Amino acid sequence: MASADKLINTDVPEKDVFALHFLQSLSNLRTQNPLLNSPDKSIDRVKKIKNAAYVSMARAAGGTSRLWSRALLRRAAKDDNKSVRFSRRKRKVTWKISSKRRRSNQRAPVVEEAAERLRNLVPGGGGMETSKLMEETAHYIKCLSMQVKVMQCLVDGLSPN
Amino acid sequence: MDPPLVNDSSFSAANPSSYTLSEIWPFPVNDAVRSGLRLAVNSGRVFTRSEHSGNKDVSAAEESTVTDLTAGWGARKTRDLNSEDDSSKVVSSSSSGNELKESGDKKRKLCGSESGNGDGSMRPEGETSSGGGGGSKATEQKNKPEPPKDYIHVRARRGQATDRHSLAERARREKISEKMTALQDIIPGCNKIIGKALVLDEIINYIQSLQRQVEFLSMKLEVVNSGASTGPTIGVFPSGDLGTLPIDVHRTIYEQQEANETRVSQPEWLHMQVDGNYNRTT
Repeated sequence: MASADKLINTDVPEKDVFALHFLQSLSNLRTQNPLLNSPDKSIDRVKKIKNAAYVSMARAAGGTSRLWSRALLRRAAKDDNKSVRFSRRKRKVTWKISSKRRRSNQRAPVVEEAAERLRNLVPGGGGMETSKLMEETAHYIKCLSMQVKVMQCLVDGLSPN
Repeated sequence: MDPPLVNDSSFSAANPSSYTLSEIWPFPVNDAVRSGLRLAVNSGRVFTRSEHSGNKDVSAAEESTVTDLTAGWGARKTRDLNSEDDSSKVVSSSSSGNELKESGDKKRKLCGSESGNGDGSMRPEGETSSGGGGGSKATEQKNKPEPPKDYIHVRARRGQATDRHSLAERARREKISEKMTALQDIIPGCNKIIGKALVLDEIINYIQSLQRQVEFLSMKLEVVNSGASTGPTIGVFPSGDLGTLPIDVHRTIYEQQEANETRVSQPEWLHMQVDGNYNRTT
């Protein structure tokens, strides 16, 4: 199957790049607030680490080449007003999908209802049609599993036993 | 109210509606027009191909008077009208036997459209009004102009709809299912699930579990990271190892950056720190 091969070939999740970015942002986080130790701040730190993990994953996945990584970077740039580098060529056409989604709601109700839930999960998925959504989902799943593995290794390595 | 045609005088009293036709039709009636007229009369249908399409409904409405009006054909008129229901090819050949050379093209079109319901062998270009009998032939004609304009090649099977919306929708659904099978190969244990909705549910569950896992791991990492920074809060860990760890991380990151710029892809720094715990996740 050609599309499966294409999906596999385009998707070589760069776990080294991800680990590099992630460790860098971890050390940045650590040097930023070395004195905050209260438990309500720890929740904040968890969120920051999670965001750093997602941003590193999006960067490792090729920056803005994918729709989901672009959406992740955009969301991260919106969260903290720090400017994340990404190129300014926007593909706004893929964002406005409201008519298309309205049309696709009439088609296959079961599949479209499940695809609607999938759109909420995949970042930037609200603006994709269904086949594009499947493609992005495949790439996103691969990168997520890569991320989970690398983070697991980091936790295993950094935590003393 | 005298019509200019010669032998109308015998029929003028019987059918007054023939005058209207002669008023409508003021052109010099040559053989081609007559034969076209006769064909139109014989079939009783409206042909838009011939050039006098405006008058044809009138001529079809009053069959008998029109055939009477065409002057020299009175002898054949009765035969044509009698044999109206059998094959129209015979009608056209018998009625227009000698003018086939002059206006052959037009008549062939007419004959083809007349006999289009029967066999379809003489079907002219793009007769879309064929019935259910020639369905496969119609789909082939529909599918032929499609590949050059797009790379999607759709072929309708028997009984499937062939209008372009249905074709596009079918192509879209095929693309989605193809992507979904590719997606199914990625997710472990998803191959055995049958049904698109269940597969999508499984995909959603998998993504959610991965995201939850990321959250959990980031919590763990937060503990490790903050525990490394502020040593005394987590007293369980041996602090000597942990105190040096983030510095090592920080230092080796820049080495790794330089290494990445020279495209050396294998990191050695993780081995240095975690001394073998990092077992090369694939």
